[in-house]
Amino acid sequence: MTNSIDTSIYTAITEAIQDEARRILSERSVIAVVGYTAARRKGSAQPVVITQADDAGKLIFSAACVNNLAVYLTKAKKEIPKGGKIGIVVKGCDLKALVGLLGESQLKREELYLIGVPCAGVLASTAQPARELTGDTIAPKCRECDNHLPQGCDFVPDQRPVTLELAGKYSAEIARLEAMTPAERWAYWKEQFKKCIKCYACRQVCPFCFCEQCLCDRNKPQMVETTPRPAGNTAWHIVRAMHLAGRCAGCAECERVCPMDIPLNLLNRKMAKELKELYDYEAGFEVREKGPLAMYDEKDDQSFIK
Amino acid sequence: MSRIGVFICHCGENISRTVDVERVAAQVGTLPGVAFSTDYKYMCSDPGQGLLKKAIQEQRLSHVVVAACSPRMHEKTFRKAVESAGLNPFLCEMANIREHCSWVHEDREEATQKAIEIVGMMVERVKKNRVLPTITVPVTKRSLVIGGGIAGIQAALDIADCGHEVVLVEREPSIGGHMAQLSETFPTLDCSQCIMTPKMVDVANHPKIKLYTYAEIEHVEGYIGNFQVTVRKKARSVDEDKCTGCGVCMTKCPQKKIPNTFDRNLGMRPAIYVPFPQAVPNTPVIDRENCTKFKTGKCGVCQKVCGPGAVDYEQEDQLIVEPVGAIVVATGFDLYSIEEKPKGSPIKGYGEFGHGKIPDVIDGMTFERLASASGPTGGKILRPSDGREPKQIVFIQCVGSRAREKGISYCSKICCMYTAKHTMLYHHKVHDGQAYVFFMDARTPGKSYDEFWRRSIEEEEAVYIRGMVSRLYQKGDKIVVMGSDIAVGVQVEIEADMVVLATAVQPQKGADTLAQKLGISYDKYHFYSEAHAKLRPVECATAGIYLAGACQGPKDIPDTVSQASAAAAKVMTLFAKDKLEREPIVAKVREAGCVGCFYCRKVCPYGAVEEKEIRDRQGNLIKVVAYVNPGVCGGCGTCQATCPSKSVELDGYTDEQIVAMIESL
Repeated sequence: MTNSIDTSIYTAITEAIQDEARRILSERSVIAVVGYTAARRKGSAQPVVITQADDAGKLIFSAACVNNLAVYLTKAKKEIPKGGKIGIVVKGCDLKALVGLLGESQLKREELYLIGVPCAGVLASTAQPARELTGDTIAPKCRECDNHLPQGCDFVPDQRPVTLELAGKYSAEIARLEAMTPAERWAYWKEQFKKCIKCYACRQVCPFCFCEQCLCDRNKPQMVETTPRPAGNTAWHIVRAMHLAGRCAGCAECERVCPMDIPLNLLNRKMAKELKELYDYEAGFEVREKGPLAMYDEKDDQSFIK
Repeated sequence: MSRIGVFICHCGENISRTVDVERVAAQVGTLPGVAFSTDYKYMCSDPGQGLLKKAIQEQRLSHVVVAACSPRMHEKTFRKAVESAGLNPFLCEMANIREHCSWVHEDREEATQKAIEIVGMMVERVKKNRVLPTITVPVTKRSLVIGGGIAGIQAALDIADCGHEVVLVEREPSIGGHMAQLSETFPTLDCSQCIMTPKMVDVANHPKIKLYTYAEIEHVEGYIGNFQVTVRKKARSVDEDKCTGCGVCMTKCPQKKIPNTFDRNLGMRPAIYVPFPQAVPNTPVIDRENCTKFKTGKCGVCQKVCGPGAVDYEQEDQLIVEPVGAIVVATGFDLYSIEEKPKGSPIKGYGEFGHGKIPDVIDGMTFERLASASGPTGGKILRPSDGREPKQIVFIQCVGSRAREKGISYCSKICCMYTAKHTMLYHHKVHDGQAYVFFMDARTPGKSYDEFWRRSIEEEEAVYIRGMVSRLYQKGDKIVVMGSDIAVGVQVEIEADMVVLATAVQPQKGADTLAQKLGISYDKYHFYSEAHAKLRPVECATAGIYLAGACQGPKDIPDTVSQASAAAAKVMTLFAKDKLEREPIVAKVREAGCVGCFYCRKVCPYGAVEEKEIRDRQGNLIKVVAYVNPGVCGGCGTCQATCPSKSVELDGYTDEQIVAMIESL
């Protein structure tokens, strides 16, 4: 096949990750390592937390390692042992989320040991885990990836991913939606949000949804209707998109886990595009004290005031 | 169950003309929870307030809604009345049916309907009001004054005379500011230095004033009554305690060719210098940029000749933290420099006037130095180019000011008067000379001001030409002034020996950075903003910070001194109490929901958000949450809007209250 992607480096990366995890765990410089391990189904992978150097051999990296593990350091942190430095395996896209979390006082850099992964891409949620990684089976976010080689990590296996030039699906879809009239666009999103069953899988998987009590669960006063009806669904998705504006760097986990196939990351990418155009701001590359939405500058674009 | 009392005000006819107040009272009276409703001609009047108090007692009211004007107008009045009747003042709310309703509508039916809805919203809101206790914070009875010009000096002396300690910080090596540069002052023509220097000495000798010259504000923390100010005392290279001010170092300094900025670069000074002979403190400073010792490492003459051994090349900047309770900002002004056009500045210069190119085109402050007895010419009016006495002199007013197309639309206020003064000083010194003034209008409001201006024309022979100048150019040793006389409708050309530009008054350079450190607001020109243009002209919107002088807007000396004393009075009012009472409309964090993302701290304009550790009984850290210091919180609610989990709420404006209001519609 002409558009297959070379994932041969993943074997070497797996070995390097295992060696590094074994080293840092046996030296007790970390108390746990969050990474990926083989799952039951052939070729599939799942997140794992290991605390013993003997378990380092369980760690893998493959095109099926889709999860953003950053979420295990915030909301799901109760599953991680407390009281020490934690090692974590990160792809470029996951690293962006970590960088955001560092800027939002949720994590401290000195309490993390980052094992970066040179990544050529992972499989789309629609592809079977054992499939070969190709231009057709690759996850949509990987088509537009600008962070194949994570920067600023404590350890990165010495491998260089070979990547393919692929046409961006999100950018094409954003262009299509931008060409619509506001009424058409509204109709499109209404149709999408109508599908929502309020399972909140998107909230559960998002590293940035770290609130202990989501405002959408509050009932005094009730901010967002909780039953899956069109009005409440729309309110939830608008709240979600707005809360992620300037923070989401596109790990696309929300879209991957949505059982109703709502194009959630499309909305996030559109918000990110706005931020880039209005404030020349891109989330996830450096730890920042303030994003553009928490700042005021006299030179801010005010053309939206009509 | 609430027993709410609703009081509808007619506001004379202001409300009742458009709104059927009786119908509003009747309709609102039927709302659940409303025990009493009535209307009255003037609720704010004494009988109106009496009615309210009587109803609270007789009807055993639990909450009160007064439907009248804006809460900015009378909320305090009614809350006080409610308090005197025995209710917590924060159980009283106002419904604005004047500015929001009767004043902006004409249709009586619709306006009445809207008034009913506005009052209905406030009824729902007041039901959810909580009893709020007044907040008290301690006061540090020391004051910081920033800027040692006449404004800062006056404010410092007034506060210190009242017995409170003052920290006075001046950026330059000496206090005195612009007033020390002036020759004589309008409208009495008394010598500026003669009235200024005694005040400067008073500052130096005052036991309650701690003076930092050659120092700047590094940063400011805290809030009204409790500021922590870090002052950067720049390295003077001269030990102030040892120096006797003998001046030998200055006479012996071999580097003497440095333009003296105090004399507007007309004279020269050595590298170790005091800006002017009457400087306070009379301690020299080494200009490290121009000093041979600092540039090449060789020289060191001043150290050798200094008897007391005060010269210290190793001296470093010092950071000093001063706790103060109030801050007076008196950073003054700077003159619009017409040849300088900073990059990206909306302010355009006046290339056509040749300032900076033609040596005898000078600005007003340079003329002051020429006319000053202590100036570079000893008070003789002489041309900078060849030292000759100018026989024809042209003054041009409104250079920069009132020129929207050049970027400044305001009037600099002092130029009409000082130009009139300049014509007089010129006439007194050059008897056979002729002064011309190009002007747009003469603005002379002020005691004895118009008489002064008239005198310059009628007795001192100044020729005033109404019109602007389009171009200046050098022709031989003359400057040709091309202008128009719009009174006669002709073009005028004058061959002048010297031209004086009355350039606009601008805030000091760096006024914006200082404002950011202090957390006070400023306008687009960087003049500091007062809390209310008419009723709170010396206070900043940030509590505990006051304004004096030209940093707030162009001002002459009498206005500056008045405002400085007013700012001092405000500081003394603050210091009159041991504890400060303040409105309890502050944000509170719901710690159970807070995840410590600190977006609230990032957006808080008051710096009120702190970190708080939540620990279990064994002392293990559970989490770090936000804590709003009630003494600092300004009650703006920005944190509430920003908090992603809605874990911070402003008392009196809780989400529950706002949603209740919306749902009542």
